Amino acid sequence: MAHDGTRAGGGAAPLPDRDILEGFDRLIAANRLMGAERNPTVLKKSGKGAPFLVRKHPSHHRMLAIWKDLFASPGSPEELLTLLSPEVHGFTHGDGLLLFGRDRLLYDCQILRRGEAVGHLTLDLYRERDRVVPFLPFPTRPGRRVVYIEGITLTAQSTGYASALFLRYERLFHDLGFHLFRLKASLSVGKYYWAKEGFDCSDRARFQEMRDRLWALVQRLGLPVAEQEVRRLTHMSDVAAFRRDLKVPVWRDAEGYYTFEPDEAHPEEFLFPLGKAFLLCSDPWDGHKVIYTDTPRRTALVWSEAYLSHGTPAGHPEGPKRLTALMDTIRREGLLSSLIVMEPYTPAMEALHAVHDPAYLEAFREAVARGDRYFATRDCAIGAGSYQAALLAAGGVMAGIDAVFSGRSDNAFCAVRPPGHHAGRASAMGFCFVNNVAVGAAYARSAYGVARVLILDWDVHHGNGTQDLFEQDPETLVINLHEHPSFCYPGTGRRMDRGKGAGLGATLNVPLSPHAGDREVIDAFEREVVPAVDAFRPELILLSAGFDAHRDDPIADLECTEAAYVHMTRSVLELADRHCGGRVVSVMEGGYRIESFVASAIAHIRTLQGREEMPCS
Amino acid sequence: MFVGRRMKRDLVTVPKEATLEEAGRLLKAHRIHHLPVVEGDRLVGIVTDTDLRNATLGWAIGGSDAGDSGRPQTVGEIMTRDVVTLAPGDTIDDAMLVLSRERFGALPVMDGGRLVGIMTKADILAALLETLDIEGVGVRLEVILPRDMGEVTRLASVLQELPVDVRSLVLAPHGPGRYAAFVRVATIDVPGVRSLLRGKGFAVAELSDFYEPG
Repeated sequence: MAHDGTRAGGGAAPLPDRDILEGFDRLIAANRLMGAERNPTVLKKSGKGAPFLVRKHPSHHRMLAIWKDLFASPGSPEELLTLLSPEVHGFTHGDGLLLFGRDRLLYDCQILRRGEAVGHLTLDLYRERDRVVPFLPFPTRPGRRVVYIEGITLTAQSTGYASALFLRYERLFHDLGFHLFRLKASLSVGKYYWAKEGFDCSDRARFQEMRDRLWALVQRLGLPVAEQEVRRLTHMSDVAAFRRDLKVPVWRDAEGYYTFEPDEAHPEEFLFPLGKAFLLCSDPWDGHKVIYTDTPRRTALVWSEAYLSHGTPAGHPEGPKRLTALMDTIRREGLLSSLIVMEPYTPAMEALHAVHDPAYLEAFREAVARGDRYFATRDCAIGAGSYQAALLAAGGVMAGIDAVFSGRSDNAFCAVRPPGHHAGRASAMGFCFVNNVAVGAAYARSAYGVARVLILDWDVHHGNGTQDLFEQDPETLVINLHEHPSFCYPGTGRRMDRGKGAGLGATLNVPLSPHAGDREVIDAFEREVVPAVDAFRPELILLSAGFDAHRDDPIADLECTEAAYVHMTRSVLELADRHCGGRVVSVMEGGYRIESFVASAIAHIRTLQGREEMPCS
Repeated sequence: MFVGRRMKRDLVTVPKEATLEEAGRLLKAHRIHHLPVVEGDRLVGIVTDTDLRNATLGWAIGGSDAGDSGRPQTVGEIMTRDVVTLAPGDTIDDAMLVLSRERFGALPVMDGGRLVGIMTKADILAALLETLDIEGVGVRLEVILPRDMGEVTRLASVLQELPVDVRSLVLAPHGPGRYAAFVRVATIDVPGVRSLLRGKGFAVAELSDFYEPG
């Protein structure tokens, strides 16, 4: 297992099969390795009953197969037992057992303090199976490695033990090549505790339902909370930390369960902060936490099914297919388990009015409500879901900004549509309605007090909407790399456009000749973009990440490959490390040939995660 | 298109008696190159930054023996007297032809005997930019047509059917027997328009027909 706390999983040489099998035998002889299945009748809530049914262990051949499937770099069984039972805060593990099920490994132990049993811990280690063909149960292939926290009970509460233990475990399982912790947050305090520890609700519909209930509670109690504050909760840990300043009364029963309404069974009153009180009184939920396997940076992925509801007619280049194809590939390549997936939220109208004319947005809403086929220009085709999707796209950037400022992720990729960089204060064009990055920049200022924002746009088309919105603003540096305007839509973005008034110098256009490829683009990036960013010292970097400069993209004439996107992404991350703590929020813009768009976006996302390998071509 | 609509009306002029330094300061302050020289409201000449430079340099290089007495002092001494002028009713074409043939930079505009404006090369460029709508949103397509108005009409009717905004359309001769139509369209889906036009049998030039990389 060779866990030294610094090495990433998979780095160590695997142990020979013979040594692993001998380890099994020694543990069997010591009565510390058995066969078992989970007991389906066990009552989680009370913790009564054995969590599993012990039986004879499977064959050595089977055990070895499970072992090698579970660990990225299989080590010795005895070493695993040692690693799983560290001494933390004076607590130790006793009677630690490894139990082999049909397709999984369980770890079970007593938790001891000063030799006395004070609790119990069961972990379930297994490998998910991914369907090769969606909707068909077979064939499958090995998927994510999961640690299921079957249960941890402690008679002594608030010792900080579990917290410290799981911090160790996260590191350990990361190094062992695991992807996810899973659990059912069902115990009274657990529902709050796991959320605080960064576990998120696995079922997104369920999460939204909880968020609605929280909003209903706020209204019922007449608390001074704006709807926007509740809407922007995208993760259980947000809920746990929500409005600590507001105290809410709850009542507790003898077993330690809480409710909002006092009754005979719940006589004891407590005052808790709003988010904590809400979670303590919530129903059980299934949670998960990503173990950041092999990604030096934590990258959030913001996306929503609702982005598909911006329907465009057949043959329109900017269709939902772009996003479904990207998400399919993200799932198929197993990237999802290493990304922090987040839901966007619908922004308050004030957040949009910081950028757009209210009358313009209203005209857009009305056009959609009327059932118009397009808005403003024929390029801007609309369908029934377009208005909501456009708002949610801007909200996606806001959620990405929340993620990097709350520290939940280092950077974020917002897989939004419709795109935004052509949209101006009161103009829709080039498939764009709401300028997503611009709304994000305004939001970062109002919500997080950021002053200097860099908007870097490498879509093949000039981001004229973004440039127009910020050309007088010295605090927003807008850099555009695009095909030369004499050859390419929208025909703006000349080198001599450098900003206006106070914003003179805070606009940089780098037009590229038709047929420029990786070398020219990378050269221009290093020669012009990097020094400009270094001089500006941004506090946040927003990317308008289009992938239509690819040589296979039909809509323009540049000839880049994925390598250019990998290079520019790496360069942006280095700039972000130098100036703004690595905070990069990348926002999807164009890219119209599905294959090259998906390959480029995936290469970009993998690079955002800090992966070093070049994309497969 | 008439000169009267395009000329600059806020004139900067200089009296004949003004010194060269005064004239130089005016040119610099207004970032212009030409000063009509007036006596009252009567145009008597025009002086350019080149005239000023030649006068001072010429004196410094060739006339140092003569001492200060040989040095030109006033605008009146160095100005061009037989000024070519335009009238507000002249066309932009006239102005372009004169400017191009005579290699002038600017032409004063006279209404009767009165100086009313000036037309410079920059004004011509601005008119051209506006005519072609180069600053507005759009992409240029080049369609090569036989020199046949029937084909031009057919192109116009196809453009009418297109779901895009046509920002400008220029028809130019393109070798013997052919026209090049420069169509500026406001759509991001240029490949879509291109293939639609090709589907209707038009020859749409590719970038590579004009551009030699490297």
